[in-house]
Amino acid sequence: MCSGITAFNIKGIRTALLWAVFCIIIAFSFREAHLDIRTLADGLPYAAALLRDMFPPNFYALEKILLLAAETIAMGLWATIIGIAFSIPLGLISAKNTSPNVFVYTGGKLLVNGMRAIPDLVCALIFVTSFGMGPVAGILGLLIPAIGTLAKFYAEAIESIDTGPVEAVRAAGSHGLSIIRHAVLPQVFPLFMGYNLYMLDHNIRAAMTLGLVGAGGLGFELFRQMRSFHYHKASAILVIVFLIITVIDRLSSYLRNGITDGTFLNSRGRLKDWSLLSVFCLITGLSIFLVPVSLREIVAGIPRIRDFLSGMFPPDFSPIFTDMKLMLETVGMGISGTFIAMLIAVPLGMLSAKSITRSPFIYNITKEITNFFRAMPELMFALIFVAAVGLGPFAGVLALALHTAGFLGKFYAEAIENVDPKPVEATEATGASFLQIIRHAIFPQVSPLFHSYNLYILDRNIRASTLMGIVGAGGIGFELVMSMKLFDYRHTATLMIIILTTVMLVDWASSYLRNKVVA
Amino acid sequence: MLCVEGINKRFNGRQVLSNLNLRVGSGETVALIGSSGSGKTTLIRTINGFVVPDSGRVAIQGKDIDYRNREALRQTRKRIGMVYQLFNLVERASALDNVMSGALGRMDRGIHLLVSTVGFFQKEDRDKAMDVLRFVGIEDKANERVDRLSGGQKQRVAIARALMQEPELLLADEPVANLDPKTGRKILELFLKINVGKGITVITVLHHIEAVRDHFRRVAAIKDGTVCFDGKVDELTGDHIDYIYKSDRNLECAAA
Ligand SMILES: Nc1ncnc2c1ncn2[C@@H]1O[C@H](COP(=O)(O)OP(=O)(O)OP(=O)(O)O)[C@@H](O)[C@H]1O
Ligand SMILES: [Mg+2]
Repeated sequence: MCSGITAFNIKGIRTALLWAVFCIIIAFSFREAHLDIRTLADGLPYAAALLRDMFPPNFYALEKILLLAAETIAMGLWATIIGIAFSIPLGLISAKNTSPNVFVYTGGKLLVNGMRAIPDLVCALIFVTSFGMGPVAGILGLLIPAIGTLAKFYAEAIESIDTGPVEAVRAAGSHGLSIIRHAVLPQVFPLFMGYNLYMLDHNIRAAMTLGLVGAGGLGFELFRQMRSFHYHKASAILVIVFLIITVIDRLSSYLRNGITDGTFLNSRGRLKDWSLLSVFCLITGLSIFLVPVSLREIVAGIPRIRDFLSGMFPPDFSPIFTDMKLMLETVGMGISGTFIAMLIAVPLGMLSAKSITRSPFIYNITKEITNFFRAMPELMFALIFVAAVGLGPFAGVLALALHTAGFLGKFYAEAIENVDPKPVEATEATGASFLQIIRHAIFPQVSPLFHSYNLYILDRNIRASTLMGIVGAGGIGFELVMSMKLFDYRHTATLMIIILTTVMLVDWASSYLRNKVVA
Repeated sequence: MLCVEGINKRFNGRQVLSNLNLRVGSGETVALIGSSGSGKTTLIRTINGFVVPDSGRVAIQGKDIDYRNREALRQTRKRIGMVYQLFNLVERASALDNVMSGALGRMDRGIHLLVSTVGFFQKEDRDKAMDVLRFVGIEDKANERVDRLSGGQKQRVAIARALMQEPELLLADEPVANLDPKTGRKILELFLKINVGKGITVITVLHHIEAVRDHFRRVAAIKDGTVCFDGKVDELTGDHIDYIYKSDRNLECAAA
């Protein structure tokens, strides 16, 4: 009994401490990100005026916009296809169980983590400086982080395979590549396909914003129209961006579900699946035709990458303190954005979970709002918020918050829909009221998942906030763009070191904590 | 105590309960038997309001259950404890937290409602939960997470949660079907202890006839959605049992 009481108290003290730390971090981040309710209030009339200016959307040069849209999709496709080709060997050597030896494994793993940590727009910026503006820089910009991400997913999938079949094939006298071909690949294939589709989805989304740094696609045109205050034209582009992303998102999640539960191409929806697949191939073919990647162009750019890289040495550490302060602001933006996203996502998630929202009307409306937030790239939100509340981190925080509230809302809703219904019924049977049931039967089941999603989004938002500066929405990104525009590559190097170190640290901390909370 | 009169229920055009009648007096213990799919679970769920009968009435202490009024239904559920085959506990929460959730129905006014919705309980409820856990014999596991408990311990936690409600009626749907025979016996003994010690009426679905004979005096059998035997366990003959578990819908009801 006595030990029970102390255990309870220690737990209580620990909880109180954790909450205190949490509050301090949030308060600090809000201050760093210059969050101010007055700015928001003052900005509201501007935002309203902006929205008024956006309507009705003016589809001024539809042909040109559609061509740019096709180019954008093509960039995403190319980056994914080339990315897959590079990621398979890289994934194999950076998985413990298929790597030839420990040195290759460590090297592969370092390479993967390094590539993954570079934000895609930063990468695209670098390639724009060496290849000039245009889609090739965009493709290469997407490619590096895509290889890192895919190779990491692949390696994790390979590491988690069932060793039974591997043993069996090895027992039959096979070795090396033959084991990989016959025992490893069949097991990981559906997972790989799922990751590839996810990557494609992600790359097409990301390609929409590459134009902001001049790396081709729709983003550039959008940026141009926003800058020249042609908001009704900008809104037309936004509509198209939104439509494309929504369609791709639905298509990719349909295919992913079909592939993971094995119903794709061999169930009743066969005809539908085949036609979807052919449409998909048609789009692929068309975009490859539209944006042919010229090897010669890439080869011609390589010496310039070398110039760029050698220009970075030695890094110029003199402005390191101001840079670190900027990074702190960036991290603050990521944390504040995530926190506000959580606040928005809780009602969104609950209202769009079928199992607890009985009204189909409310359920559908919230689901569409969630989808809208998710489909709108954060940099586009940022462009709008910069126009509404002015330059600075606040616009960036709002953009991150809205965009990722869409993700979290969806994740939360799925978690709620997947809870074990048995304890929920049991709690209802005790005569508990609706809110009590949510708190005592649903919340304990979803809270570890929620924490895990929040940490994942936090990681992602800190990464994304390094880019907000590109559109003037605060953080270290602005300095990065400026240093490149001014050919001050030695300063660029310092900024990159700070960004990559922070991103990798946050990534590590987030996955460490995620493993802890899910246990 | 409980009066079920002429209830009918169809699922997808299939008659699951047909003109079912059952009366249970205060302080009785009744074992419900019947073959798979005969409608036992549906009957239990009708009594605590999770299944709405197409016709007929169910009354607790002389008061009809109003299936359309959510608040009235909640008030009824407060008075009925429920124990499940698969325990239906929040696995990640502690035994104590699970037990305390049995008090939620009572905390339905003012500050209590607010506090419990935010997620807190009062010291009295905590103490009471400890008392109940002691009664079911596992107070030493109070702070253990449920997913670390054995099946028998989980069922004790679930029973404690039901007792936390201070129910007048305790329903159980195959409470020992997922336990080994020895543990199952102990759980059934616990039901009898609850019945005798706390005067709570107990109705439980059971599959094991031997266990029914050893622990219960009254047994009611359901076949094709209606009660086809209701009487003392001693009167239940082998022929009855053959009939109850034979899946022929055309035979007449044998006894009682
Ligand atoms: N919610 C429901 N929707 C549709 N059919 C249902 C539903 N609940 C029960 N049924 C059907 O009603 C019939 C009786 O089910 P019930 O669960 O009451 O049987 P049971 O006597 O408890 O059987 P068991 O011993 O297997 O638990 C079954 O055929 C079942 O499929
Ligand atoms: Mg049943």
